[in-house]
Amino acid sequence: MNHKKLLELALRKGGDFADLYLEQSLFHEIILRDGKVNAAGTNTDEGLGIRVVKGQNTGYAYTESSLPPDLEKAAKTASYIASGKVASIVPAAITTLNLPNRYPILTPWDSFSPQKKMPYLYELNDLIFGADKRVKKVTARLADSTSRIEYFNSLGIHCTDTRPLASLTVSCIMEENGRRETASASRSFRMGAEFLTPDIIRELAREVVTRTAFLFQAAQPRGGEMPVVMSAGSSGILLHEAIGHAFEADFVRKNTSIFSEKMGKRICRPGITVVDDGTIPGNRGALNVDDEGVPGQKTYMVTDGILTSFLHDRISARYFNVSPTGNGRRESFRYMPLPRMRATYMENCTDSVESLIASVKKGLYVDTFSNGQVQIGAGDFTFYVKSGYLIENGKLTQPVKDTNIIGNGPRALEMITGTGNDCRIDNGTWTCGKEQSCEVSCGMPSVLISSLTVGGRL
Amino acid sequence: MNEKERLEQTCLYALESSLRKGAGKVRVSALRDVSNGLTVLNDSLEKIQSAVESSLTIQLFTDDRYGSCTTNGTDPARIDKLIDQALASVRLLAPDTSRSLVPASLRYSGPPSQMAHNGDVSTDTKKTLLFDCAESVLQKEPSLINVAVDYSDYRRHIHIMDSGGLNCSSEETWYSLLAECAVKGANDTRPSDWEYTGGFLPDALGIESGRPSDCAVRALKRAMAKCNPVKIRSGKYKAIVENRVASTLLGPVIQAASGSSLQQQNSFLLNRLGQTIASPVLTLIDDPHRKGYPGYRLFDSEGMATVRRTVIEKGKLNIYFINTYYANKLQMQPTISAPSMLTLPGGKGNAESLAGFVKNGIFVTGFNGGNCNSATGDFSYGIEGFRIENGLITNPVNEMVMTGNMLDLWEKLSATGNDALQTSTWQIPSLLFDNIEFAGL
Repeated sequence: MNHKKLLELALRKGGDFADLYLEQSLFHEIILRDGKVNAAGTNTDEGLGIRVVKGQNTGYAYTESSLPPDLEKAAKTASYIASGKVASIVPAAITTLNLPNRYPILTPWDSFSPQKKMPYLYELNDLIFGADKRVKKVTARLADSTSRIEYFNSLGIHCTDTRPLASLTVSCIMEENGRRETASASRSFRMGAEFLTPDIIRELAREVVTRTAFLFQAAQPRGGEMPVVMSAGSSGILLHEAIGHAFEADFVRKNTSIFSEKMGKRICRPGITVVDDGTIPGNRGALNVDDEGVPGQKTYMVTDGILTSFLHDRISARYFNVSPTGNGRRESFRYMPLPRMRATYMENCTDSVESLIASVKKGLYVDTFSNGQVQIGAGDFTFYVKSGYLIENGKLTQPVKDTNIIGNGPRALEMITGTGNDCRIDNGTWTCGKEQSCEVSCGMPSVLISSLTVGGRL
Repeated sequence: MNEKERLEQTCLYALESSLRKGAGKVRVSALRDVSNGLTVLNDSLEKIQSAVESSLTIQLFTDDRYGSCTTNGTDPARIDKLIDQALASVRLLAPDTSRSLVPASLRYSGPPSQMAHNGDVSTDTKKTLLFDCAESVLQKEPSLINVAVDYSDYRRHIHIMDSGGLNCSSEETWYSLLAECAVKGANDTRPSDWEYTGGFLPDALGIESGRPSDCAVRALKRAMAKCNPVKIRSGKYKAIVENRVASTLLGPVIQAASGSSLQQQNSFLLNRLGQTIASPVLTLIDDPHRKGYPGYRLFDSEGMATVRRTVIEKGKLNIYFINTYYANKLQMQPTISAPSMLTLPGGKGNAESLAGFVKNGIFVTGFNGGNCNSATGDFSYGIEGFRIENGLITNPVNEMVMTGNMLDLWEKLSATGNDALQTSTWQIPSLLFDNIEFAGL
């Protein structure tokens, strides 16, 4: 591939900027069902995405072919976002970025056959069935992928990145007196096959059995407005939905985010700091470099209660005259990059989770979640609670399950009245679905929100 | 060689190569999808996108074992290498005797399925359509922040072949327009809403008529109606669920009726075949052969011929959705892997006329998150919508949650409209439910 020629073709109508994103991915999965690992899948995928930017506007085309005429056709198609007759930008000479490696691969997945993977799934299955006689079914899926990225742009930036991703998901069904319950658990890291250890299998087995058994004791809570204590770890979904999306600067640039006019202003109480971080080694949201050649980094979105940064791709960074924050991400070469989160979490404060619970007379404690959503402009966010407890007179009492909680982002931030000292990153298979799928993670210390609306029975 | 012939040749190569390398049985599916998209943001062309996507999926059944592989490459050497790797993996797996090709008696054997426009729409025509649509609201309303109008089209060819003699193909086009408006609301809020239109012919977008699409006008009206919402008191209310979101409530029922959920005992419809699971008002038909409507198809992803079926008749569950694999596992007759085009006949009127029957209720126009427990049917969804008072749709409501159990919910279905949108594969009209629990203040 002659990258210089392609960039010149892409810029021939007067585009301001062009980039090339070449991707080769290899994906494997094996599935355990009914006690047997009896399904396997392999997927190979490769192609080139070509983007041209003119002002805030984007032309994008991709090709799965490596033949020069197909590459040139894609470059010409993308060029039409500009309407000039000649190029105004000449691609700069290429310099290759020297990047850290936050996800070294000790054992490459392509050297690790299904035969080596299968015993881990059988062990997981046996541990789950052995832990509780009520277990009726177990399904487990081990997926791994390795993506090799090469990137060039008209500013002269060139980089390569090899991104592994390993995910293990397990779900189980239990039956008790004719009633069935189901729960799942997962782990995901940017790692090679060293991801598979006896410890991770034991952790997942224990977690999925505990979660499923819990549900037999639980009921949907009584609904209404109440204080909610969110446990450490996966409660970070609150940050992802309530503020993270609204901080993605494409929404801010278009003035459709409820936080559009809040930069530099206090949005929550002092002491609260929220970051979006691509630098955690091996984390599902980690990036050595984003998908438009900006090195992975840690971005302080909220510092001591003040909104200090949005999450930028190159387009929004240029619009706001700030540096890009390394949040330009895409699902694959088939998609143009957008501002996306990485690992989003709140840093530790000082309260203990016990003190947060003790301060609530009547409310809810929530600790596992399945999904969330937000309306960027209205600010209303939701997250679905798989399990938790009622809080009555400062103590955890009745187990609860299956309730959706809804709130408004800015108001919920203002109503964080207690923040714990037990921050934990959740390493489940979190996937964000903003127009494209994107691997993320989240985390949080325990927090107390003085009022949210809890779905429930009346 | 045309596209159909090219895909057929690729399938044949992969099938023969797999058999030559030792696969017992093989199914091969090839797809080629050519798509285009343009977006206008206010008065400027914000995005143009163009894509040609290919995929080849090879499902291998060998020595009572099963595996699959997928690639977007069509180069024979790459296909051969992938088959070698996949076969090596498959041979390491545990046997699964339930895997099989579609039986000959259920296999589709008719002519190619064709629901495609002959010709293309020029880029200039698309741009005119978009700019005209955006201009219909620009500078007409002071509170308007943005209008974004998306045009997209695709032409999709699919070919499926198996070693038992299946050989079927389809060609489909789709043209669509989506307008979204955001407006300035109270307290820094920016409510937004959208309108969509589409069809397998470009005429669905009004290209021939010369009249600008009214999608943006309708989207703006909807966004403005959402300004200044209130949260109302928790309680049991009659609920009307608007046609364009009603399928959200049907989704868990269809999932619970699927072979995978049933075989894994992860279904609140387990052992409910032939039983009443909903109000007598609910009759649900899978009607795959209504040509010209989305969801039209003659065969499913396995190559099984589609058939018109009554899924639920006056509240009674008539069928499960079972492909060949789960049919073998469950010792049942296969039906189809998933519904094609769901319709819900017998209703009258639209959401506004249904509201006439409601003294005190909630008109649900959107769901915000939520989920359903697949084993028990317990659900909880965030909602947005409007209050209904004395038969009239009044002020907007938000930050409320609708909670219950799926079986209980569908038992409370008391009336349906006949206003299903013709642009989606599940053509579900507006629905009226009694006594639904909403949490708010």
